[in-house]
Amino acid sequence: MGQFLAAAEDTPDFNREIRPILAENCFHCHGPDKKSRKSGLRLDTFEGAKNGGEFAEAVVPGKPERSELIARIHSGDPDELMPPPDSKRTLTSKEKELLRKWIASGAKYEEHWAWVAPVRGGIPKVQNLGSINNSVDAYLLRRLEQEGLKFSERASAGNLLRRLSLDLIGLPPTPEELEGFLKSENYELEVDRLLKSPRFGERWARHWLDLARYADSNGFQADQLRPSWAYRDWVINALNENMPYDQFTIEQLAGDLLPNSNLRQKIATGFHRAVTCNVEAGVSPEGNRVNQVFDRVNTTATVWLGITLECAQCHDHKFDPFSMKDYYSLFSFFNNTPLEVQLPSNKKDVSHDFIGPYLDLPLSPEQAEEAEKIDEEIAALERERDELSKVSGPKFQAWQESVVAALENQPEWRPMTVKSFVSSGGGEYRILENGSVLLTGEVPDKTTYTGEFETDLQSITGFRLETLTHPDLPGKGPGRGDVIRPNFVLHELRVAIKKDGNESQLKFQSAEADFSQKNWDVAGAVDGKAKTGWAISPQFGKPHFATFRLDCPIESLRESSLVFWLDQNFGKGRVIGNLRLSAISDPVGTAALPQGVVSVLKKPEGKRNAKETGKLKAYFLKSNVRFSTLEKRLALLTKERSTLKPDRTLVMVELAKPRKTRILKRGNFLAPDQLVMSATPERLPKLEKPSNRLDMAKWLVRRDNPLTARVAVNRWWSEFFGGGIVATLEDFGTQSEPPTHPELLDWLAVELMESGWNMKHVLKAIVMSQAYQQSSRVAPELLAKDPRNLFHARAPRFRMDAERLRDNALEISGLLSSKMYGKPIMPYQPNGLWRQTGRNEPKWEEQKDENRWRRGVYIVYRRAAPYPSMVNFDAPDRSSCTVRRPLTNTPSQALTMLNDPAYVEMALAFADRILTGSGDVSKRVDYAFRLALSRSASPSEVTILEELIRDRSEYYRDHPVKVSAILKNPKFFYKPNHKNLIELATWFHVANVLLNLDETLTRK
Amino acid sequence: MNQNPFLTQNRRSFLQKSGFGFGSAALASLINQDAAAADDDPLVRLGLHHSPKAKRVIYIHMVGAPSHLDLFDFKPELQKRTGELCPDEFFDLNQLAFIREQPNLLGTPKDERFSFKKCGQSGTEISNLLPNLQGMADEMCFIKTLHTEQFNHAPAQMFALTGFERFGRPSIGSWTSYGLGSENQNLPGFVVLITGQVLGAGNSAFGSGFLPTIHQGVEFRSKGDPVLYLSNPDGVSHLDRKLVVDAVKDLNRVAFDDVGDPEISTRISQYEMAYRMQTSVPELMDIKSEPTYIHEMYGTKPGESSFANNCLLARRLVERGVRFVQLFDQGWDHHGGVFENLPKKAKQVDQPIAALLKDLKERGLLEDTLVVWNSEFGRTPMAQGASGDGSKISEAGRDHHKEAYTVWMAGGGTKRGHVYGETDELGYGIAKDPVHVHDFNATVLHLLGVDHERLTFRYQGRQFRLTDVHGEVKKGVLA
Repeated sequence: MGQFLAAAEDTPDFNREIRPILAENCFHCHGPDKKSRKSGLRLDTFEGAKNGGEFAEAVVPGKPERSELIARIHSGDPDELMPPPDSKRTLTSKEKELLRKWIASGAKYEEHWAWVAPVRGGIPKVQNLGSINNSVDAYLLRRLEQEGLKFSERASAGNLLRRLSLDLIGLPPTPEELEGFLKSENYELEVDRLLKSPRFGERWARHWLDLARYADSNGFQADQLRPSWAYRDWVINALNENMPYDQFTIEQLAGDLLPNSNLRQKIATGFHRAVTCNVEAGVSPEGNRVNQVFDRVNTTATVWLGITLECAQCHDHKFDPFSMKDYYSLFSFFNNTPLEVQLPSNKKDVSHDFIGPYLDLPLSPEQAEEAEKIDEEIAALERERDELSKVSGPKFQAWQESVVAALENQPEWRPMTVKSFVSSGGGEYRILENGSVLLTGEVPDKTTYTGEFETDLQSITGFRLETLTHPDLPGKGPGRGDVIRPNFVLHELRVAIKKDGNESQLKFQSAEADFSQKNWDVAGAVDGKAKTGWAISPQFGKPHFATFRLDCPIESLRESSLVFWLDQNFGKGRVIGNLRLSAISDPVGTAALPQGVVSVLKKPEGKRNAKETGKLKAYFLKSNVRFSTLEKRLALLTKERSTLKPDRTLVMVELAKPRKTRILKRGNFLAPDQLVMSATPERLPKLEKPSNRLDMAKWLVRRDNPLTARVAVNRWWSEFFGGGIVATLEDFGTQSEPPTHPELLDWLAVELMESGWNMKHVLKAIVMSQAYQQSSRVAPELLAKDPRNLFHARAPRFRMDAERLRDNALEISGLLSSKMYGKPIMPYQPNGLWRQTGRNEPKWEEQKDENRWRRGVYIVYRRAAPYPSMVNFDAPDRSSCTVRRPLTNTPSQALTMLNDPAYVEMALAFADRILTGSGDVSKRVDYAFRLALSRSASPSEVTILEELIRDRSEYYRDHPVKVSAILKNPKFFYKPNHKNLIELATWFHVANVLLNLDETLTRK
Repeated sequence: MNQNPFLTQNRRSFLQKSGFGFGSAALASLINQDAAAADDDPLVRLGLHHSPKAKRVIYIHMVGAPSHLDLFDFKPELQKRTGELCPDEFFDLNQLAFIREQPNLLGTPKDERFSFKKCGQSGTEISNLLPNLQGMADEMCFIKTLHTEQFNHAPAQMFALTGFERFGRPSIGSWTSYGLGSENQNLPGFVVLITGQVLGAGNSAFGSGFLPTIHQGVEFRSKGDPVLYLSNPDGVSHLDRKLVVDAVKDLNRVAFDDVGDPEISTRISQYEMAYRMQTSVPELMDIKSEPTYIHEMYGTKPGESSFANNCLLARRLVERGVRFVQLFDQGWDHHGGVFENLPKKAKQVDQPIAALLKDLKERGLLEDTLVVWNSEFGRTPMAQGASGDGSKISEAGRDHHKEAYTVWMAGGGTKRGHVYGETDELGYGIAKDPVHVHDFNATVLHLLGVDHERLTFRYQGRQFRLTDVHGEVKKGVLA
């Protein structure tokens, strides 16, 4: 492979100097795309150029003067000139000269470097052997020496550990870790510790999830949430376990097709279910599916092969050797999963039904524990119920006898006498001849009737409340509020025995009514709950009654009276207009016996049929308090148990019968063309006998695949050096930027494959290099010579990505939760951002617990409205595969770090943390610096902050009101410990300053 | 290699060009304060390919697609044949979003309220539903033959606004900001104002795709902070904030002196601009200072969130040099009850849009401000949901229609009082002068002085542009 950055010589380098000119200016009409090829001439192959199409002598090797190409690029005739003027492309004279030299030197074509498998070259010789740690350094230093440069000095220990820690686990070192390293100076030990940390997977998952365009919602119109967080957890876990990259690849692309695939391998296939899904009801389900397959093909090509296939959806690629046939042959591997939406079952629905496959996950440990507890209780209750249901023997017999006896002397309801009556909401009352109370006068909105009643019954088992009609009431009643809807709502009926001014409350066992409105059952009037109650819509204009059975019968009333309270709080005058209360002594409960039971009992035992005996037994059981309690509890438990559903996750499922794949004209699913078979692109190593996705996945990680390993190591490199060895991380095709250090790229790629696709091994090789460990100081002469730092004569400085910024600030402030995995979290975000994205659901529910301080990778990712403070720091919406996030520097970022209540809360906690230590201001500043920046503060830095501290603490001493204004921010969930509030408010600003420093936001 | 010179430099050059993002004295010389006046600045020439007619854009997007047939494209023949079964060739299930059975034709009702009037000197026909706009007809340039390739909201919105029906491409506002930068150092170059819910395409409708995120549309909200996180935290005073920002600046200076990374000085200026925005944005959003006659003209009420308020804000934004202002208004998707709902929506927008045109004209801004009124597609001349035969006319709606629909532009170098293109007698297809979405976008860029084929960004090994590999400037709409 040539020296890509070397200066041009007499024989131009084809890949570096000639192909780009041809690709940019000629391939559009004279390239691989047959359809747009003009004059039958192609210039992307030697044969094509030599044959010349309609021009026998387009390129005559060694003879530029006879080559039509040279004549055309110099032509003065606009009809002859190439590229044609209307293409708006022009060649510079330097480019023309290069083309001439190239033809003169034989017009040699070379294969594009990326299509040739990498081989490990020799380790280059360098002059300054002392400054290299490993092969990585050797490749870099040779280049530096050629440029007359050298590595910078090693970064300070604190800086180095912070860099390493932020790079490997996305978090800064703790003061203890820092101290340990300063003592031991054992760098490799730290590297190993961090590579083993469970935080490693959380940091590197973010990087992978951008590629996987993982989100928690469908995208498009309604953008509803959908569960696939188990896939996110799979990625974190796989990275932590250092799953070999080939296995990592195969499981995500085709885990479902592995022989006897296990649960985890199936979850891994969530990778390609992360694609957006349009459920908007005018969408063709097939059109949606085809779009999803397009995305799967394009994403696979970008993530593993580093090539942009998208163009070949509609036409042969204009620059790279990939045809439409290649595209649809690859498409065919992905074409065998089911439709994910179908026309709505309800025709009026504005959304399709989502029918894509899910996988049930095992119950979570908490769920499983809960389920076990419920199952045990259900079993015990059922045993007891079965025992009780064995209705026979003396008890049943005795009951029957007592009822039959009681029936002969059936007790009666006895109206009680009103001693006093008050309506809290106002109005008057009259006692009518039938002993009832008629309410008159002003109709109260809400009220509680309090009435004292007397009766000569001595023992009482229950009461009856009659709500009666009366001509004076609107619509005859029984309610008072409305002539059309004379309803009432009795929220609660309470009763007490009153003796010598002392009241003792009685409890009810049950309540029954002749009629209860839907959702307003009379049982609600005695359940102690303020919101439930008894009402009677639509049966207005008729009298009603309810009976209430006491839990413990009153044995003897003697001199006492009874006080009743009737709470009626619905409003709008929904109160009872005419009521009568009666009491009864009916120990057996005959008064409440249904007519059907009475008639059975009246029959002699021998004449009852089985059905009648069953009815009797059922009633007997029901009257047993314990039995009905049991029944209720069982019903409740069964319901609870049914809500303990396993969580689900989206996975790939292969159709039993594969679809036929056709080329789609212009990528239009309604315009199918020629049939194609599954195959990998022709230019790349051949896959023999391909059958399915699994074969394709295995092919990607075959040793002779020239792209997969290079593309992966290049992305990892970029995470450490702020840019790739190939700058275009997403494209290794002929239009890509040539690698700055081709041999190093190949060395890393081979190292990856030969180490058994060991990712952590490669990362370790990178971070152990001297190049990684050097200082990031930007010397002016270096900036002038190599502004993009392509030669790596210093370590790069760059702003961290959105998630790391948040995690870093949480860790500095001491708030970061180490809780891993599970459902997406919702920390603070401004109100109303989700409501605007359409429909009412889902809602953002800010979590006011530990979850709000978990790492950014767990924050719910909704495509139409991703977490706003992260968007401000260039987080993508994850609607499509993102290889590289931009790194902007904007005022919105300043506003976010200064004012986002999430960061403001972190500042408060950080201030509280600083104040736990020594009372000396400069020591506190120093501690704060060590937390935030892993270094001590310089005297000038201390001075700047001391000034702020002096100013604010004086001000707050004089204005204590301002202190509480700051500390009583309702958006704070964190409760500080520091008791000196003036100090806390003052240091809150200091913490705010430190969290906003360029250095805090920068990995350097 | 004949590369965009942008791309051979590091990312800072993008920022330097964009204006929004730079405020420091050290870099002030690089800021493109006024694109037209700074022709010798190489950064400016990158964006401007010819002398622009429009320097800024107010782009009004009616989300959901208004019934153009009942507002701007009157079809007497359709009206006459209302209730007839539509011709077979109109009924193609794959081209209709919701209609499932062969529908009837549905014309505009024969009712004074819905009648069309020939307006102004140009005699352009506009429905009585838009009485105020009728008065502005001589300023407007109608395109009656816009057509698109998508007939579902989200993909069609993306197609219209980003030139591609799926996620991931920059929007027209982002391309403009990328190409021309901002004229104001205190405000973003691309501002979005929304009434109703956000559209189906979500933020992608004004997203920057693969362009640097500095070019994405920044939503100014009418509730809460106009720009997210603009206000100081509870209890934090203006002075507190100043002291904090000053301390951050002083400490960042110490760091800059030590390590020499220019990114630090950029950060310092961003904090300064953020601090200035805390004053300039609330000042901008506060329309109370406008005189009464302006409020009466637009129908605005300070403190409300309304389309009218957004129209007035749009004027205030372009006055302050914001390059691209985009208004979204939700609620035009009338699948049912089109003759009941359309008048209500029309009433909401008629007065403020007419006021905006008038106000811009009176201030001399209309000349170099392009106002665009469009939607993702149009609506069918066939009835949806009800027979459309007159018996249940109040329930009838119209489905999504991509074959031809009407949009208009005003000012910014477009022909005044002009109609371009013609649909067939039933308003289904195009009779004359089709304009594809790519043509439309090419024309908008052209008016801004930008050649749509040359405004490109290299990504994934390819030069991308708003119009993909298509688009033709429609000279017939240019003044």
